[in-house]
This record gives sequence, structure tokens and C-alpha cells, in this order.
Amino acid sequence: MSLAWFARRLLLMIYTVVVVSMLVFAITQILPADAAQSLLGENATPEMLAALRAKLGLGDPAWQQYLHWAGRIFSGDFGISMRTSRPVGPDMLTALSRSLLLAVASIVVTLIVAVPLGVIAALRQGRLADTGVSLIAYLGVSLPEFVTATLLALLLADTLHWLPATGYVSPLENFGDGISHLALPVLTISVILIAHVMRMMRSETLDVLRSDYIRAARLKGLPERSVLFRHALRNALLPVVTIIALDVGYLLGGIIVIEEIFAIPGIGRALMVAITARDLPSIQAGALIMAATYAVTNTLADLAYAVLDPRIRYD
Amino acid sequence: MTPALAIKNYTLDYATAAGPVHVLHDISLQIEPGEVLGLVGESGSGKSSLAWALMRHLPDNAREIAGSLHLGDTDLQRLSPRELTKVRGRRLGMVFQDPSTALNPTLTVGRQVTETLVQHRGLGQREANALAIDLLGHVELRDPAAIMLRYPHEISGGEKQRVIIAAAFGCRPDVILFDEPTTALDVITGARILELFARLREETGVAALYISHDLALVTRVADRVAVLKHGRLVEQAPAADIFRAPRHADTQALVQAVPRPERRLIHDRPSDEVLLAASDIEVHYGRASLFGHAAPPATRRIGLDVRVGEILGLVGESGSGKSSVARALTGLARFSGKVRFDNREITGARDMNAAYRRDVQIIFQHPDSSLNPRQRISEILSRPLKLYGGNTAEIPRLLEQVRLPASFAGRWPHQLSGGQKQRVAIARAFAARPKLVICDEITAPLDVSVQAQIIELLLALRAATSTAFLFITHDLNLIRQIAHRIAVMRGGEMVDLLPIEDFDADHVHPYTRELMAASPVPVG
Repeated sequence: MSLAWFARRLLLMIYTVVVVSMLVFAITQILPADAAQSLLGENATPEMLAALRAKLGLGDPAWQQYLHWAGRIFSGDFGISMRTSRPVGPDMLTALSRSLLLAVASIVVTLIVAVPLGVIAALRQGRLADTGVSLIAYLGVSLPEFVTATLLALLLADTLHWLPATGYVSPLENFGDGISHLALPVLTISVILIAHVMRMMRSETLDVLRSDYIRAARLKGLPERSVLFRHALRNALLPVVTIIALDVGYLLGGIIVIEEIFAIPGIGRALMVAITARDLPSIQAGALIMAATYAVTNTLADLAYAVLDPRIRYD
Repeated sequence: MTPALAIKNYTLDYATAAGPVHVLHDISLQIEPGEVLGLVGESGSGKSSLAWALMRHLPDNAREIAGSLHLGDTDLQRLSPRELTKVRGRRLGMVFQDPSTALNPTLTVGRQVTETLVQHRGLGQREANALAIDLLGHVELRDPAAIMLRYPHEISGGEKQRVIIAAAFGCRPDVILFDEPTTALDVITGARILELFARLREETGVAALYISHDLALVTRVADRVAVLKHGRLVEQAPAADIFRAPRHADTQALVQAVPRPERRLIHDRPSDEVLLAASDIEVHYGRASLFGHAAPPATRRIGLDVRVGEILGLVGESGSGKSSVARALTGLARFSGKVRFDNREITGARDMNAAYRRDVQIIFQHPDSSLNPRQRISEILSRPLKLYGGNTAEIPRLLEQVRLPASFAGRWPHQLSGGQKQRVAIARAFAARPKLVICDEITAPLDVSVQAQIIELLLALRAATSTAFLFITHDLNLIRQIAHRIAVMRGGEMVDLLPIEDFDADHVHPYTRELMAASPVPVG
């Protein structure tokens, strides 16, 4: 992989984050006619408004406000929460770590289940296994998260008592308890992701198996096992990487629902609370951290793509 | 002695919704050990189906009605899937038509050579690597150890085909099937591949079935030639005889269709009046970006002129920039330089007004992609007619002009054969009553016999309309039949621009001479 290629991707990522930070700042602090008023609400006294305006630097030109704000954030200072009066940064990062754990666990489960299922469905195209797998996948995407979540909770927590229904325990403090609390939300998310990834994997595998180089590999006398694992799988995985990167975007947004249902104090919930409380620094931090996570994930996906496909490295 | 490959009374159908389609009928062929049999036929003659049958790679709807296929003593039709993997590649190798799609893009070249050695010759990875480097060196690849580590997109088309040939020969098979191995390559690269094949064949004594639509090419590599037409074998003869004395009418037609430079198809002289003069044409693709410089121009200061009613040939290998010239002259590519057409100066695509675009028409290589699949033939033809003030009532006349029935107006492009589609593209170009038609490799995807018909049609149209042609091709033999002058391009530069009479002269560029040497001139 060429260094120039890597540098270009990295620059692109930084550029994205900077643009997002401008948007976030503009929407939260510049666009409202009076950010102080909209933050404090109808009942604010003139003194409170004046104090907050001074604190936010609302009198300065917009670019100065932005630079000042961006400079603080760059040095790791996201400000003090207006709700809890605690520094926003550490709280948001803790929340993010919980959400990331949930997301990564879901993606791992998804890959382990969906890739083999997709390949099997492709190999048995039109037969019972294919139809069955596809049907389940369709069910998975068509049910909204909260329905899936409720059904799974009813079955696994209320009826069978295998898993706790809600709550979060850090696996670092109590591993077994942490995992059992994660299981239900991970399952819920995976059901949806598995459907996406499996269908992609199925159609890509079918495409690749029809290609000339697979025919060539077969006609060279390679056993079907080598044709599949050495020649087909890697090429079929390529678009799946893209799908997963896009799904991370869905996860970051859609995870709010899951976190609400299962009472997990993740970034989605933190952002919801911040918005309800009009906690400006928390909203800014939450939005920025989500955008940055998305940018990093997509850069990682590009990297994975380049590792899988040698043709990418020189464009 | 047992023949290396024996096909007896083989009959094959494809089952379709509309009933069975007969693909091969009562085919009997034998290849002795060490012999090369050429199999010639147009597309649709069933020659590729025969190859797939031998490799046991038939589609699901194939029905083998009768006959047998034997490789030595082995009955190919009775092999179990497990036995088949020990025959494919090991005893019966294959070299494919398009080397750029036959190699896996995500595996190194070395891996794709060694995997068969490991599989079929029971070698360890280390021994296989050493042998693969040997094999790649033997097919005249420079620095084989470095090539081993490259990916297919990092080597040229000719190099890829050498890699595939090295892999096919690496397991010392009894028979190798060659399925049009040079069709996807340019003339010079193809000629080198044929030389390589001749040498390897001499060294290894392998028997081969060489499939092609090009009779002239097959007679150069094969000992015997079999001619296939509509799934039937019409003639088998020694390669040396088939050109001199073709017995069957279909073979004679094939021989007639092969372009031969000494058989000129036009005899007039064009006027001296210049229709289009282009000078210092440089075509630019892409722009400089923040991270890189712009690509170098695809052509370097090309100058040429086309006279009224003239056929100017433009030849060169793929990548020589000949299509870029066509794209510049039609305003499809950004270019610098000057064009003078009909006494009007043009310095860029923006200067090309409706009159210019009407007078200069282009016909593309692939009618499949240049005809809109969602439009009927009548709609396709009415567009230029309306644009240039013609009348849609002219459509039947246009179709007749390209010798298609007027009823084709109501058809869709996919209902037409490749040759018919190209006729529609020609009709579309002539609908505007142009003064210059640029033909960009328009016969390259067609069979030799269809090519001959298209050329005849173009010459008839020229006689009727006195249109000038800029005829771009990589087929030197073809262009020497029809052009008044020929320009030769290499690497974006024009190396020669000669009147046809001067082609045998001493002052031709060495590269032009190389091109001529690489063009397969029929034996006999």
C-alpha cells in the first residue's frame, strides 16, 4: 500500500471532520438568532442572558467564535455540561465506549453468521436452503428494531429467563454479567445487519462464481474447495466491507432506539438527554464524536478494501 | 496408436423454452499425439461449445444426444467430478480468449501458476515456486521472480496470456485447447504469442485444438484445419491445402473473406481538395489535481488531412492513441491544436457547431453499447434525421441503403445480430448525409465473413455518396485493401503517413515494417 494513498485517505478524513465541526457549530451557535435565549428558554432573566452571551462569546464575529471553539476542542476541552456541571469530554467518551462495544460486538456476530449463510445460499441457489435463509433475512429487515427487541426480550428474558432484560454492566468490571447484559441488544442489532450482509454476500458470491476467472480456476482442475475459498470468497467479500461501513452509520443513528429500549447509557442516549436538556456543549461534543467515529470507520473500511483488493492501492 | 483426442459422432443440443437448439451435429474429429488441429468457424458455429463439451463445462440446459469424447483411453463423458479434477489442467489444459478476465484480480500471478503445480504435480510450495519461475522464464517473461509477486493488473495483456500459457504447459498435459488466444490482443502481441506457441509445441510435442474465427491465422499454427458451419463439419484438410484449394463452398467463402493486402477493393483516386486538416492535435484526459499531475496527453502533436472522398487508414496497437484522434475530431475529448474543416477553423470542441457535427459522423466499435437498448431502430434513426432537418419517411430508404429489410424499423437492438446492429449504426451515421465518416474499429468485434460484408457495404455507400472515411483499425491487411493513404501510430505519435503504393518502399518506418510482419498473411 502506498504511503501517498494512505496520506490522501487520512487527509480526506480530517477534512470531513473539520467540515462537520463547522456545520455543528453553525447549527448550534450561529444560526439561532440568539443562542442564549434558545438555550435558557422563555423564563430567562436579562442578567442570565447577558451572562451566558458573554460566556459563549456571542458578541464576537462568527469565524472568531468558531476558531476559539475549535481550538478548545482540539486541545481536548469540550466544555462543561450545563446540566451536570461536569466536564463533557470524559462523560461523552465513556458513553461512546459503551456504544462502540455494542456496535463492534454486533458486527462481529453479524460477520460470523451472515458470511457463511450468504455463501451457502449462493451455492444452493433456488433450493430449499437458499429460500429458507432468504426468507429469514427478509423477516429480519422488515421488522422495526423495537418490535424485534420486544419479541426477543419477551422470549429470552421474560419467558426463558436466560438473559437480563435491560441495563448495562461493564465487561471490565464483571465479565460474565457484562456479556449477558450485552447479549439481547447485540442480538437485536445483528438480526437487521445479518439480513443486509447476507443478501449482499449471496448476490456477490453468485456474481463472482459466474466470472471468467472462476471458470478458469475450475478448468485448471482445482478442487471446488480451493475454487471457493481461495478464488471466490475474497472477491465476494469486497462489497460487503462497504455495506458494513455504511451500516456503522445506521448503527450510530439507530442505536439510540436500542439504547433506549435496553437502558444502555451509550452515546445515543447521552445525546438524547443533552438535546432534551438543551445542554449545548454536550450536544456539540456528541454530534462531533459521532461524526468523527463515522469518518474513522469509513477510513478503516477503505483500508480493509485496499488489503483485500490489490487494484485499489494505486488509484 | 491411440489418438490424443477423439470426438466421434458427437451431437449436442441446448434445451430452450422454444424447443431444442441444435448446436453440434454428428461431429467426428481426431487429434494424433503431437498434432495441432485448427477449428475454424464463425461465431455461433458451435466451436466454443465443442471446447466446453471437452472440458466438461457445459451449461445445465445442454443435452448430449449422441457420440463420444475420448482423451487417450479416457471416456470424458463418464468421469466423476473427482476424476474430472485429475483430468482438467493435468491431462487436458486450456488457454482462454481473454487473459484479462481469466486471471483472478486479487491473487498474485505466482500463486495462480503454482496452485496447479501443487495440485497436479504434488509439489511443495517451495518447489512449485522454483518451477513456476522457470516456467515463466521459459515463456520469455523478463524477470520472472518479480512477475511472480505482481497482481494481474500490474502486467500487460500479452504478459497475462504468457502466464496462462506457462501455467497450462506447466503440468505437461497431453492436449491443450486454445480458445481464440490472440483475439483480445493487438497484432504484434498476438504474433509474438503465436511464435511462443510454435516454439513450446516443438519442445513439448503437445497436441492441441486451436479454435479461431480467423482462417488465415489458423493455417499458420495448425497441421490440419477443420471448418465448422452451423454446428456441422464441412471440411477437413491439411493446413497447407485449405487456402489453396478449399473444396466446400462455405470454406471458399471463408477464404474469400480473409483480407489480403494485394487484393485492392478500390481503384479510384481521391481529389486533391482537402476536406479536413488537423495539426498539432494533443488529446488530454483528466486534469491535474491537488495530489497529482495531469496524465500526459494521449496523442503528441498529431497532424493529418483527409481529402474529399478519400479513405484514410489509421492503424496502430491498442493504446497507440488512434481512438483518441477520433474522439478529438468528433469533439468527444478535450484537445489542443487546430482543425480546419471545409475552410473553417476549429480550435476546440466548443467550435464544433451543428453543421460540423452533421458533416462529421462517427461509428463506434461496439454497436451493443452505441445503440440505445431501450429504443427501437426507427427511433434510433429518426434522431439524426430530425436534428438535421430530414424526414422520418426516409427510414425505410436508410435501412435499404444498408441492406436491411424496412421491417427492421420496428425492432429492438437486442433482436439483431452483431453485423445487423453495426449496419444500423452505419445507417445512423449516413442519415445525416455526412462529408466525413470516422470508423473506429467498426469490424473488430465481427467475424471475418461479416467483416467482409460490412466493408463491401461501406464501399458501396462511398460510391453512392462520395463520402470520405477515416478508417481506424488494427488490421493492416484489411486497411491495405481499401485505403488511399495509411497513417501509422505508436505510443501517441504518428510514425508514418504513406500513400498505399509506398508501403513496400524502403523508406517506411521500422515499426510499420514490424506491423506488416506481424499481420498474418494467408499461407498458400
